[in-house]
Amino acid sequence: MKKLIYVALTGAMATSLVACKPQNKEKPIYNISIIGDYSNFEALEAEFERFKDIRDDVVLTYEPVSDYRNKLATMLEGDEKPNIFFSYSWMASDEKYNSVFSHMEDLSDQALNMNLDCIRPGLINRKDNKVLMAPIFSKTDGVLVNKNLFEKEGLQVPTTWSGLLEVCAAFREKGYENPMMGYSKNPSGNLMYNLAYPIFVAELAKDPEAIDRANNPDKVAGDPVAGEYMRSALNVVDQLIKQNCINIENCDKIEDNYNKVLLRFFDGDVPMMICGADTPSGTKKRESVSAAYQANPFSYSFYPIPVTEQGGYFIDSPSVQFSVNKDCDNLDVTNEFMRFLLSDTELNNMSSIKRLVTPTKNLFFDSIYAPFANVPIERTFSPDMLGVKDIISAQIRIASYKVGKGELTIDEAIAAYGTLK
Amino acid sequence: MKRIWIVISNILIMLGILTFVIVYSTLESQSAVRSQRENFEKSTVAMEQLTENYLESEQLICDVWAKYINEQNMTMDEAWSFIKVSHVSDNISAHIIYSDTLQGKSTRPSIIEKDNYEVSYSSEEILKDKSWIKTATKHEIGVSKQYRNPMDGLKSIAFSNYITLNDSGTSKEAILLRVIPVKELIEKWVFPQEEFKDANLSIINTKGEYIIRGSSYSTTSDTFFEFYKFYNKIDATSAEELFNKIVTEAGSLDMYNSRKEKCVLAYTSLGDEGDMVLLSLMPLKSLSTETPENWLLIGVVSAGLLMLFIFDFIAMLNFNKQLSISATEAKSANKAKTDFLSTMSHDIRTPMNAIIGLTTISEKNIDDKKLVEENLRKISLASNHLLTLINDILDISKVESGKLSLIPQTFSIVDTAENLVNISQPMIKEKNLNFSFRTNSMNIEYLYADQLRLNQIYINILSNAIKYTLPGGSVFVDIKEEESQKDGCVKLIYRVEDTGIGMSKEYMDDMYQAFTRQTDSRVNSIQGTGLGLAITKQMVDLMEGTIECQSEQGKGTTFTVTLDIPIAEYQRGEMKLKPMNVLIADDDEVLLKTALETLESLGLKADMARSGAEAIKMVKEKHYDIAIVDLMMPDLNGVETIRRIRKEADYNIPILLISAYDYSDVDKEAKEAGANGFLSKPLFRSTLYNKINELLGTEVESTEPENDYSDLKGINILVTEDNDINWEIISTLLDMYGITTERAENGRIALEKVKNAKKDQYLLIFMDIQMPEMNGLDATRAIRALDDPWASSIPIIAMTSDAFSENVMECLNAGMNGHIAKPIDIKLVIKEIRRIKENTKL
Repeated sequence: MKKLIYVALTGAMATSLVACKPQNKEKPIYNISIIGDYSNFEALEAEFERFKDIRDDVVLTYEPVSDYRNKLATMLEGDEKPNIFFSYSWMASDEKYNSVFSHMEDLSDQALNMNLDCIRPGLINRKDNKVLMAPIFSKTDGVLVNKNLFEKEGLQVPTTWSGLLEVCAAFREKGYENPMMGYSKNPSGNLMYNLAYPIFVAELAKDPEAIDRANNPDKVAGDPVAGEYMRSALNVVDQLIKQNCINIENCDKIEDNYNKVLLRFFDGDVPMMICGADTPSGTKKRESVSAAYQANPFSYSFYPIPVTEQGGYFIDSPSVQFSVNKDCDNLDVTNEFMRFLLSDTELNNMSSIKRLVTPTKNLFFDSIYAPFANVPIERTFSPDMLGVKDIISAQIRIASYKVGKGELTIDEAIAAYGTLK
Repeated sequence: MKRIWIVISNILIMLGILTFVIVYSTLESQSAVRSQRENFEKSTVAMEQLTENYLESEQLICDVWAKYINEQNMTMDEAWSFIKVSHVSDNISAHIIYSDTLQGKSTRPSIIEKDNYEVSYSSEEILKDKSWIKTATKHEIGVSKQYRNPMDGLKSIAFSNYITLNDSGTSKEAILLRVIPVKELIEKWVFPQEEFKDANLSIINTKGEYIIRGSSYSTTSDTFFEFYKFYNKIDATSAEELFNKIVTEAGSLDMYNSRKEKCVLAYTSLGDEGDMVLLSLMPLKSLSTETPENWLLIGVVSAGLLMLFIFDFIAMLNFNKQLSISATEAKSANKAKTDFLSTMSHDIRTPMNAIIGLTTISEKNIDDKKLVEENLRKISLASNHLLTLINDILDISKVESGKLSLIPQTFSIVDTAENLVNISQPMIKEKNLNFSFRTNSMNIEYLYADQLRLNQIYINILSNAIKYTLPGGSVFVDIKEEESQKDGCVKLIYRVEDTGIGMSKEYMDDMYQAFTRQTDSRVNSIQGTGLGLAITKQMVDLMEGTIECQSEQGKGTTFTVTLDIPIAEYQRGEMKLKPMNVLIADDDEVLLKTALETLESLGLKADMARSGAEAIKMVKEKHYDIAIVDLMMPDLNGVETIRRIRKEADYNIPILLISAYDYSDVDKEAKEAGANGFLSKPLFRSTLYNKINELLGTEVESTEPENDYSDLKGINILVTEDNDINWEIISTLLDMYGITTERAENGRIALEKVKNAKKDQYLLIFMDIQMPEMNGLDATRAIRALDDPWASSIPIIAMTSDAFSENVMECLNAGMNGHIAKPIDIKLVIKEIRRIKENTKL
C-alpha cells in the first residue's frame, strides 16, 4: 500500500513538473504607430495600456510630429508610414491633402464593424458617403466660470445676454476689474473669435444660401452681403468691450491662448474666462502648476456664452479625428484597436484624461462640460454638417479681432468680408 | 505532544524550508541581477563608444562639407551641387537652409514631387532653437533632436554646421544639415547580448530633451527629466542631483517607465563635450533571473513539502488512531488483568475450599473409613478441577488467539455431574440456596470428549449461577440427553437456571468478551476472573456446540449449552436388578418422573411419594423393598420421614437418603434415624444401580477394568527424570501397581541405557523434556536413530510439565508415542501403560 502511495506521489510531482514547463514559443509582435500634432498625448497612451490587457502582442506608439500639417502627406507616402494619423475636417477643403484622403480607410465599411453610433451624428463627416475620420474629441467655444466667485458674491451664472451684462456690472461694482477675460494678443484663438463665431454660425444656419454666400465671398472687392451675417456677432463683441465686461488691455497681457490663459484663470480673480474648448483640456495639469490655485482652489465649469436672451450656442465641432492608413502594416490589428477605441467607455475615458469634450452622446459624464448638455438642440450647430468652410472661420476671426481691438468699425469689417487678412 | 503542535511544527518547518528556498533563490537572483546590471552598464558604455564613433564620423563628414563650402565661398546652388554629388548612401541627404528664412534646398527631392528640391524648416521645431548647431572648426557633434524629414517623412536626425554662402556677392549665414534616418543608427544599436534585447536606447541632451526618444518614454513629457519626475516620486532637490549625475557620470538606477514597470536605466555621457547622454532602459523583469525555473523550483519544493505534509499527516493520524486503539486496548487489558489478578483467587479458592474443607473433615473423622474415602474422592475431583482451572488460566492466551485445542478422552458423565455437585456444594450451603440437579433420559454414561473442557464449561456456568444468586435464591440444573443428528454422538443439553440478579442487555452484548463481569452493587463482593464466559464460549464453539442465554435483570438467568458429544466405545454392561418394589419420595415432580424412569429402566417397580407424610403412609400400606427419601422436603424432611417410617412401619425396609446438598452435616442424625445410605443427586442410572446393589449387599460387576492391576505386574519402565521428587512420585505410584522402574537422570543417560539394554528390558520409557545435558526431545530423536530395531522402536511417552498442545505436537514430532502432563493422573498413566502393552502384544 505504502509503495503505491509513494508511486502515486512521485507521479503527481512529475506531472506537476511537466505542467509547469515554461512556454518558450514567442508570439509575434505587432507594431502600431500613431502620429499627430499633439506634443503629448497621455490620454491615448492610457488607452494603449488598456488595449494591452486585450492584446499583449501589440506595441502601440504615439509620435508627435512637428510641422505635422506640412509633413503628413509626405509621411503617408514614405517608408515609415503611420497606422493611424490625426486628421481634421478642414483638410477636406485643401487640395494638398488630397493624397492624404486617398490613404484613409472607410470606417463605415460594414466589414470593419466600427461602432460609429456612439458618436454624436453632427460630428461625423461623410465624404462620398464614406467616413474617413473618426472624432476622438470635440470642441466648442465657451466660458470657464469660477463658481466660487459667483457664490461668494451671491450671483448666479448668467444664462441670458442681459443677465450676462448684469453680472458683469455687478462684479465690476464689487471691485472686479475683469469680469470677463480671454486671450486677445493675436488673432489666432482670440477671445473675440470665441465670442463671435457661435453667433455667426447660428446666423448662417438660418439660411442655406447665407452659408453658400459666406463660403464664397468676393475675395477681391469684399462681400458686404455675406459680411452682414457677422453684424450681430460683432455687436456682441463690441458691446462687451464697451460696457467694460472685457478689458482688452488687461487681456493683452496674457501671452498665449492656452497656458497663460489657464494660469490667469487660476489666479482666482477672474469670474469668467472666454476660451475655446481646447483650453479647458489643460486645466487639470495647470491646477497643480498654479500656486494661487493650490493656495485657494475653487470649482469651475465650462459654460456656453449667453450671447442672446435665449442663452448661448453649442457649436459642436470635431477636434482631433483619427484616420486609419489603409496602406499600413498590420491593418487588421490597427482596425481592432480602432474598434476598441470607438466606444463610449474608451472615448469618454480619453476625454476625461485629456479634459476635452467627448464626441459621444453622453456629455454629462464630465462635470466641466455638463452645462453644454443642457443646450437645446435648436441652439446646437455643427459647422461641418452645415458646410461651414475654413474661410468663414478665418473671416470672422479677423473681423472680430479687429473690431475688438478697435482697428475696424463693425461696418468696415462687414464691408471687408472676404478680404480680411 | 498534542497533535496541533505537531501540525504547527510541520508547517513551521515547511515554511522555514520554503522561506530558505525563496530567500536563497531571491538572493541568487539578486546576485545574478547585480551581475547582469553591471554587464548592462558595461554594455551601455560599449554602446556609447559605438554611438559616439558613429556620431563623430557622421559629424566629421558634415564638418568636411561645411569647411569646403566655406573655403570655396559657394553659392546655395554650388553647395547643393557639391553635396549632391558627394552622397554615397541613398538614405542620407543634406539640407542647406538659410538661417533667416529657414528655407533652402535638399539634395534629395520630395517623395511627393520628384523634381522638387525646395525644403522649408519654417515650421520645424528643431530650428526654432539653433543652439545645438555647431561650427565646423570646433569639431563638435551638433546633432538635432529626432524629427521627420520634410522630404521623405522618415524619422531622422541631422548633423549640423553653420556655413556661409555667397548670395549675390554677399555672405549669408546658412545651416548645413546632414540628415540621416534614425533607423540607420538604430540598426547599429544592437546589443550583442541576447538578454539585453529588450533594452531601449535613447539620446538626450543635458537639458533632458530627447534627441532620439525610445519607445519606452511616453510623449506625456517633453524631456526625460520631466518623464522621470512624472512616473517616479522624487523631490526637487533629489531630482536635480540625480539629473546632474545622469548627465555627468556613467552608471545605472532603478525607475518606473510609463507602463509602471520597474526598469533599470543605464546612462553614460556621449561625445567629447559631454552634452549628450546615452540612456539604455530595460524592464527589470527582462534583466531578472527570476525565471520560470526559479518558480518551478519553489513550486516543486512547495508541492513536494505539501504532499509530504499531507502524507505524513495522514500517516500520523493513522498511527495515532492505531496507537490510540492500542493504548485503549492496553489500558483496558491492563485494568482487566489487574482486576483479574485481584479476583482470580475466587476460581482457585472454590476447588481449594473443597480440598481444604474435605481434608479437615477427613482428619477429624480419620476413623470413619468410608467418609475418608468419600472425601478423598471428592478431594481428587476438586484437585482435578483446580488443575483444569490453572490450565485454563495459562491457556487464556490461547483462548484469545483462538488456538485452544481439545484433548478428547473417555469419561463418565456421572463423574462429571458428581464433580459439579461436589464443587458447588460449599457455596450452595454457604448461601443457603435452593439447589436442584436433575437428569433426564441419561442413558449413555461414557462419552469421548475433552472432559476437562466440558467440566470447565459446566462448572463455569453453574458457579456463575451460584455466584450471582443472592442468598435464599434458587439454582436449578438440568442435564438431558437427546438423540443427536451426528453419527455416534448424543446431544447433551445442560441447562442452568437461577433466580439471581440477571444481566443487562448491554452487558449481554459483551458478556463473552474476556475480563468482563456484570457489575452490580449487590454482587461487587463476588470474586471472578472475568474469563469464565469467554473461555466457555470459546470451548463451546470449539466443540461445535451452542450456548444460549436468557436473562432479565432482577429475575434471573438461564444458560443452555447444547453439545453433540461422541459416545465412547467403552460402556458398562447391562444394569438390571432383580424385580423389586421401590418407593421414591421427593417434592420435586420433575425429579420424581425422571427417577421413576431410571428405576424402571433398572427393572424395578417404583412408586412416587410427593411428601414425607405420603411416603410414610405408602410404606405402611404397601411392602417396599427399598425406599428412597429426599432430604429436603417442605413439610417433613427426609431424616424425620425416615425416623417415622422406622417407627411406624412394621417391616425393616432399607432406606436411602438422597440430596442435592452436602449431607455430611446430617450424616450422624440420619444414621441414627435409620438411614441405610446416602445418595447425591442427580440420580444417574449407574449411581442408583451401584448404590442399590451396595445396599442389598449384592456383588456388583466391576465397573472399572482398572481395578484389576494384575496385568501390570512385571512391567519394567525406564523413567527419564532429572528431578528427584518427581522421580520418587512416579516410581512410588508405579510400584503400587507392581510396576518396576529404572531411572535415567537425563537424556544422555537414557540413551546409553537403551543402547545397553537387552531386548524387551523396558516396556516403555517415560521421558521428561527439560533436562540437563540432553533434553527429552533430543534423546528421543537419538533413540529413534539407533540401529537396534527394538531400541529404536521402543515406546516413549512424554511426561512433562510442558502441557500445551504445541508441546504435545513437538513431542510427537520428535518421535514419541504419547504425552502425559504433570501433575500426573495415575489413572491416565496406567491407561497409557495398558495401551502400550496391548500394542506391544499386537
